[in-house]
Amino acid sequence: MANTLRLYLTCIRNTLDAAMCLQNFPCQEVERHNKPEVELKTSPELLLNPVLICRNEAEKCLIETSINSLRISLKVKQADELENILTKKFLRFLSMRAEAFQVLRRKPVQGYDISFLITNYHCEEMQKHKLIDFIIQFMEDIDKEISELKMSVNTRGRLVATEFLKQFI
Amino acid sequence: MILLQSHSRFLLDTLLSRLQNIEKAVELDYHWAEFDDVRYHIQVTMKNPHIVLLSVSLPTPPPETVFLSGLPAGAIEAIKAAYGSVVQILDPPRDGFNLTLKLNLSKLPTDEEYKHALLVKIASVREVVLGAPLRVILKQLASRTVASDIDPLVALVHRPKESFFLIPQAEKVTVVFPMRFKDSIDIVLATSFLQEFVDARRTAGLNNAPYCMWSPTPPLELKGAPDEALSVNAGFVTFVVLPRHVEGKKLDRTVWSLSTFHAYVSYHVKCSEGFMHTRMRRRVESLIEALDRAKLGMENARNNAAQNRSFKRLSLKEARNHSFN
Repeated sequence: MANTLRLYLTCIRNTLDAAMCLQNFPCQEVERHNKPEVELKTSPELLLNPVLICRNEAEKCLIETSINSLRISLKVKQADELENILTKKFLRFLSMRAEAFQVLRRKPVQGYDISFLITNYHCEEMQKHKLIDFIIQFMEDIDKEISELKMSVNTRGRLVATEFLKQFI
Repeated sequence: MILLQSHSRFLLDTLLSRLQNIEKAVELDYHWAEFDDVRYHIQVTMKNPHIVLLSVSLPTPPPETVFLSGLPAGAIEAIKAAYGSVVQILDPPRDGFNLTLKLNLSKLPTDEEYKHALLVKIASVREVVLGAPLRVILKQLASRTVASDIDPLVALVHRPKESFFLIPQAEKVTVVFPMRFKDSIDIVLATSFLQEFVDARRTAGLNNAPYCMWSPTPPLELKGAPDEALSVNAGFVTFVVLPRHVEGKKLDRTVWSLSTFHAYVSYHVKCSEGFMHTRMRRRVESLIEALDRAKLGMENARNNAAQNRSFKRLSLKEARNHSFN
């Protein structure tokens, strides 16, 4: 299991490495505007083919690239109801703090749980390989956090139940 | 605090402080509320400093529960039995409350230990009043004398407009809790907690605990119950209470834990949500740190700091020595 995760993350890392060659590109339609093309999709010649990397049906990563911006959307696995609610809660919590993360998108792309938007400006003020490191660490951390949260809920539930039932003995 | 305490902490503290300064006449008029919509009001007047008026408001009962003049069945007898001559029930109760008690502090027993126990008992008035019908039935179970005319399905109020059900039989009492929660996250967490109850019961140490079941659909025992009482979103929990669970001193504890089961689960659901938030906040911080590491400026700042550190601040004495050399 851990092995497939590593392959999945390596694949994403390599793809990002190749995809993250962004340059400044002013808007073609409106003068003195500079917008992320991947969001607006104004002209097809500025977009590259999107890449979809899947670990399995539930976990996938969509990387869309354009001349001046890059969008990464993640779908996190949700095995059961509890994981589903924990993921939703955690990712909502992160999205609400998107301002602090700069590269995080406030709303995920439809069909995904969380999205990043990286523009050429981000690439100018941050080191590219470290930015990729961050994305990969983020993915690892989300998985880890959700499984730990789930475990803590279950442990607490067990403790609560045991304490309650102990009273009758 | 894992288990909920049966006495109202504030009420106990108020009574104790009143008792300490019994000679000093003060005006008291406090309102406060507790979980499951139980409200209290306490009043002391300047004229009679040793008389305390305590009013309690109970959650609104649903139609299937039996309430006699605003109180659960057997509550008045339970109050008389628990408090004796210290407490007098006022009729009618204060406006907006179900019960008003007149406490005469001068009639409290002189024995310190007994006095404190009685005050704690008064502070647990909620347990005495709301738990009264449950206590009657469990007491019958303990002495194995189930009345023949008893209803096959008894509904008891435990939350505003919500009740839980008892099926009293000669050898056992089956207690069924319809579990409802408002929030979708609460529902999921509570459901996983309730399943833990079933699992925990199976472990070796808890073999003697009441048998516990959880099911998403109403159990067969609830056939006669009205439909609105059976619409739930977190399933049904069933406990089978045997005579050994209500023997002697255990009776009080069993009554309290069963009548606050919903509050207990909901309290821990909220706690675990709070814990999650703390964790998530910490995780956000560590992730932001990871992002900061990627920034170009940060690297330079660290270098500057390192260079700054190479300067050594000399004390006045050392500086003088240096200049002499």
